[in-house]
Amino acid sequence: MAGVLVMGGLCDGAFDRSLLQAATAAAPLASAMGVPLMGALIGPSVSATADAMQCGLEAMYLAEDAQFAPYTADAYVRAARAAIEASGASTVIIPHGGVAREWVPQLAARLQAALVMNCCAVSAEGGQLIATKPVNGGSVLAQFEVLGELRILTIDSGNFEPRPAGQPVTPTRLKVPAQADAQVEVLSEEVQSNQGGRLKEAKKIVAGGRGVGGPEHWHWIEEAAAVLDASVACSRPVADSGWVPSRHQVGLSGTSVAPDLYIAVGISGAPQHLAGITGAKTVVAINTEAGAEIFKRADWGVVDDYKQVLRGFTERVAQLRG
Amino acid sequence: MNIVVTVKQVVDPNLPADFISVDPASQRIVSTYGLTPVMNGYDANALEAALKLREAHGGKVTVICLGDGASRNTLKRAHAMGADAVVLLSDPTWADLDSAGAGHVLAAAIRHIGDVDLVLCGRQASDTDAGQVLFWIAENLGIPAVCPVARIEESSDESLVVHRLLDDGYQRVRVRLPALLGVSSEINDPRSPSMKGTMIASRSLAPTWTASDLAVPQMQPKLKMRNQEIQVRTSSARLINGDTAEAKGAALADHLHEAGLL
Repeated sequence: MAGVLVMGGLCDGAFDRSLLQAATAAAPLASAMGVPLMGALIGPSVSATADAMQCGLEAMYLAEDAQFAPYTADAYVRAARAAIEASGASTVIIPHGGVAREWVPQLAARLQAALVMNCCAVSAEGGQLIATKPVNGGSVLAQFEVLGELRILTIDSGNFEPRPAGQPVTPTRLKVPAQADAQVEVLSEEVQSNQGGRLKEAKKIVAGGRGVGGPEHWHWIEEAAAVLDASVACSRPVADSGWVPSRHQVGLSGTSVAPDLYIAVGISGAPQHLAGITGAKTVVAINTEAGAEIFKRADWGVVDDYKQVLRGFTERVAQLRG
Repeated sequence: MNIVVTVKQVVDPNLPADFISVDPASQRIVSTYGLTPVMNGYDANALEAALKLREAHGGKVTVICLGDGASRNTLKRAHAMGADAVVLLSDPTWADLDSAGAGHVLAAAIRHIGDVDLVLCGRQASDTDAGQVLFWIAENLGIPAVCPVARIEESSDESLVVHRLLDDGYQRVRVRLPALLGVSSEINDPRSPSMKGTMIASRSLAPTWTASDLAVPQMQPKLKMRNQEIQVRTSSARLINGDTAEAKGAALADHLHEAGLL
């Protein structure tokens, strides 16, 4: 039985609405192909997420085991393979981002499957699977025909609304034999939570770029974020320069975000950064350069020295929210 | 340590959208004004990491590049940065390879070099932004792949301890050699070519390996490019005015408050 399988890896066990967004992307493919829409979850503790993922799927497969934390690509690839074999899926849809960038291409290579990552649109036209994704740092959209018997797509979930709850199914539990990977061993994990919660799920984000001027000025971004109860983010040059850790980086090689409000401070708007905020609803740009690309993406713009602007902004926000 | 670095020549990713176009025949992204293509940024980071490992452990750094004759520019730069050997992989049948096909060819070249301890790749190429080829190489060679790597903390002839980036931090991972790493830009600042290196590179010609040299059979494509469309942005933000920068900031807060965004 062929089918479309929505699959997610959950290293930390927390529910991730990107699964429901991926289901929204997958559902029209299943109907166009006339095959069932199914789900699969991999992680140390996925039962609660399985409940939250009940959105009218025809089957659900769970690979729940201690071996899936800490994350190793090898364990996720073995579990994903078991889910694909158990479900008989021919098309697999996975939310893009984080460790999926590592284990999904390993899965594709292991199974000799076709893969397109970071798709912003997918469709099935006359039996042909079509995937669209940003390339060249986001300045170009490329459209591919995805060929072969097994086809895997990762989805930039910010482009899709979560699929509403639907008829629940009883999950099938997969047995994935544990197997120590002698070649890659996780020694430790250094994980820090972001101010204002997970970046990719943040509703409000204040992001700083090279224009902030240096790590000694970063407190301006943090203070603006704090008064808004927003998450802090940065552009790639800021992460590369080590002003703030890479986990804050938004863009094609960082996190894709979809907040209601994105305030870009001193960010010029390189395509690879803009590709990470395609799902942002309202974008505000604060920059001294009136010609900066970011103003073409932004809904609101302020052309002036960001420190003075943020001083006035932060004070007023404190009054309005107080 | 015998290290192979894969590099790709790409259109400068910092060119704005109105400086690039899509060549209708090849469906490749090209610079409208003939601006010189560059070495993919993450690949330069991979090469720098390889040169640092060679400084610490001795050995050899071989750089391989899949592309047409124009890619010799990028190989020259790699040579000038300090690579011991550079090889161009070029064949008419490789012009339109997808990630799987490119990984197949690069893996065949690495096998041809032989006895390789470490393969270093950029985490993704800035033209296709696919992030796949390195994993196809590793699968073909039957070695583990770790990506994206932001730091090499320890290195010996048997293993490396590296930092693999996660969404909210990183993992410290010990990987036994032989292995492949996908390198991210946090790892280093690539050096500029030295004067001496540039002179040596300018006097040498990279050898070319073809499909018959590597005995690579033709592969069925897994992806077919339909079209590429340049995203030219034309809209513009509504600018907020005020007598002072502070007043603009306060006015911005008021606008966002009215829109229910605070």
